[in-house]
Amino acid sequence: MTDSLFLLVYIFLFPGFAFLILYAWALSFLDRKIAARMQQRVGPPFYQPFADFIKMLAKEVINPRGVDWRLFDAIPLVALAAVMTAFLYIPVTGASPLAFPGDLVVVLYLLSLPAVALFLLGWLSRNIFAAIGGVRAVTMLFIYEVPFFLAALTPALMAGSWSISDIVLWQQKNLWFVFLQPIGFVVALVGLQAKLERTPFDIPEAETEVIAGPWTELTGRRLALMDLCVQVSLVAGSALIVALFLGGPALPWTLSPPWLNALAGFLLFLIKTLAIILILASIRVATGRIRIDQLNDIGWKYLAGAALVQVGIALVINYLWVTP
Amino acid sequence: MAEVVIPIGPQHPALKEPVNFRIIADGEKIVRLELDLSYNHRGIEKAAEQRNFIRVLPLLERVCGICSHSHATNFAKGVEEIMALEIPPRARYIRTIIAELERMHSHLLWLGVAAHEIGFNTLFMWTWRDREAVQDTLEEMSGNRVHYGMNEIGGVRRDLTPAQIQAALSRLPVLEERVRQYRQMVESEETLLMRFRGVGRLSKEEVLKYGAVGPTARASGVDYDVRKDDPYLAYAEVPFNVVTDTSGDVYGRTRVRVGELGESLKIVRYCLEHIPEGPIRADAPHTAPEGETLSRYEAPRGELAHFIRTNGTDKAERIDIRTPTLANWTSVAVCLVNQNLADIPVIVAAIDPCLSCTSRLTVVNRNDGTAGVITFDELRRRRDRQWDRQELR
Amino acid sequence: MSVLREMFGNLIGRPVTVLYPREKVPIPEAFRGRVAITDDKCIGCSKCSLVCPAQVITMIDGPREVEFRGKNLARKKRPQVKLYQCIRCGLCERHCPTGAIHLEQVHAGTGTDREVVVT
Repeated sequence: MTDSLFLLVYIFLFPGFAFLILYAWALSFLDRKIAARMQQRVGPPFYQPFADFIKMLAKEVINPRGVDWRLFDAIPLVALAAVMTAFLYIPVTGASPLAFPGDLVVVLYLLSLPAVALFLLGWLSRNIFAAIGGVRAVTMLFIYEVPFFLAALTPALMAGSWSISDIVLWQQKNLWFVFLQPIGFVVALVGLQAKLERTPFDIPEAETEVIAGPWTELTGRRLALMDLCVQVSLVAGSALIVALFLGGPALPWTLSPPWLNALAGFLLFLIKTLAIILILASIRVATGRIRIDQLNDIGWKYLAGAALVQVGIALVINYLWVTP
Repeated sequence: MAEVVIPIGPQHPALKEPVNFRIIADGEKIVRLELDLSYNHRGIEKAAEQRNFIRVLPLLERVCGICSHSHATNFAKGVEEIMALEIPPRARYIRTIIAELERMHSHLLWLGVAAHEIGFNTLFMWTWRDREAVQDTLEEMSGNRVHYGMNEIGGVRRDLTPAQIQAALSRLPVLEERVRQYRQMVESEETLLMRFRGVGRLSKEEVLKYGAVGPTARASGVDYDVRKDDPYLAYAEVPFNVVTDTSGDVYGRTRVRVGELGESLKIVRYCLEHIPEGPIRADAPHTAPEGETLSRYEAPRGELAHFIRTNGTDKAERIDIRTPTLANWTSVAVCLVNQNLADIPVIVAAIDPCLSCTSRLTVVNRNDGTAGVITFDELRRRRDRQWDRQELR
Repeated sequence: MSVLREMFGNLIGRPVTVLYPREKVPIPEAFRGRVAITDDKCIGCSKCSLVCPAQVITMIDGPREVEFRGKNLARKKRPQVKLYQCIRCGLCERHCPTGAIHLEQVHAGTGTDREVVVT
């Protein structure tokens, strides 16, 4: 009984959906505030993402003529559900109670669903700009997914497990993977920036080229949910990188009362995800958008190459030091 | 994807003013381009024929917001030439100072807009922040941030007090430092180099063939600047260089404009420090003798030409404005073919288009191929004929 | 790199935004703002009305006595300016022989009284 009650609280309240949405809004606000201050602007107040969400829910939903409105309603919901589910497997206060061997693969798969959703939205919109944007989104998916998956694979190789919670446990006993695999860390960060479609990789929604890309015909509650999906994937992606490379919510030693351990872990989780947000916001502010063919060059030449090199190094280290 | 028609405009986030490109694209490569320019036509040339020389200058200022002083000065210069009127040296220097400040504000604006077109919003915010210093100086001197209203036939309307000169001089060192930083940023920022280099390349022969002017032409090595080749105002006495580049692509145009920012700062500093004393206007007659003149001026976007015909009255009989953007559009249509879809906003922004300046009307008679403008009497006759048809009179 | 240096420098510094209307920017002396007319200087010559490029000044009845060049004159007309159409070019101020019509250092305000839009 208490087991299922605990699971319900974990999934729906903390650190499940309620905390996730609030934290997504908080991180989205911090991202915008940091970017604004770097540009010497004031930036939005702390309640801005929440206010945007409420406002967009209240707006009129416009169905372009000939568009399948049922799919248009369903796709943002599916994308949001995917990323919210992905977050449940990532350790927040300690090992996730839903962990199982292979949950890393599930999380990576679920986090790539928004890009497919954007492609579908673009294709169904009967709008030339949305179609171009959708095609770009899926082209980008092919380019950045391989390096990102490889970079996420190397911690699993060294830790010897496909479960994120086990990887965190391994880092707690040994060393953070950011020191053992720095190339993988950088590739994962760049891959995450591309996955979230932020500058320099915001090619599908390039305002000056394709108006809003696949987002063009989204209005009202659909836009609110898709926006929330992107914000939640920011949290999920940062939490994933924190878990894989920065040791997750764990101190190098275990504190004695378990609630203190969980609290310390949670605080560490907050601090580490904030550090990742600072890095991602800095990348967003410091660069301009590149073209899709230039991303093709960079992705396959440098990102994928670096990821492969990292996998090779990880295998060598594994063979020489870790397994015996 | 097969060949699709992508409408860029008349309303599009990449465009600051309405213009219609119909791009026929094959995937992401552009095959053909159809251009329609006339969305901002306001009938200014006609309205200018009905205002006397005092009242026409504010109208001509408002042809464009960014190059407003260029139009007013060019017209005043042309009429003064017809009247054979010599304006005092202090007036020439004041006009030059305002002109170069306008060039600075226009180039800083352009740098921000070009950065925004590639999604580099940070540079956009920073350049526009520094543009505020130029705007503050202009506001102190002329009373308004755009549409300065400094000109009148015979000189300038307001004088520069020593306090204003000091305030302007005190802002210059900060601007010089920022322009140096922007030059460094433009030459080292990786994504900017990736998006600008090799895009929209125009060779020197193509520039000369299609008649491009201004920084667009100077970036391809064409050393043509009206300030040096046909000096007017105080440019004959002020030392400055004409900035050219040889690459001919958008990156070259960026470098030319940033270089011109530095040169403008030098000119403003020289003029502020060496401004001669004396009156600021000469007594101008109310009417101009009969005559025609082609008055040329180096606006921020290139060579601006006003053709003015007077007939002895206090109004101009005909004013024809050939703006630099109009001369540059053909080069855009030429260098857009075979480029990527993502390069359209970059190439269009690289000529610094000012469509409010551009839209002029030409009527082509399809039967015999003659082209020209419609006179007022002809318009009246056509209107009467239409009213007769509709039995409205 | 200069971009990174500027970015992180700005993060610690203050934003440059002026939070109008809480903070205000000083308006320079030469600012061309709202048109104002000093009735006891105006001699009703209608030069402002003739010179205005936007044709927003009309002469209306306003009989009064004005002192001009040492003499007391009885004048009949005064200018009325449509402030909502005025382009603030300042030609009226430039050509007024007595300096009666001038541009103030005030932005034309918004409001519900007639005085805000017509003077």
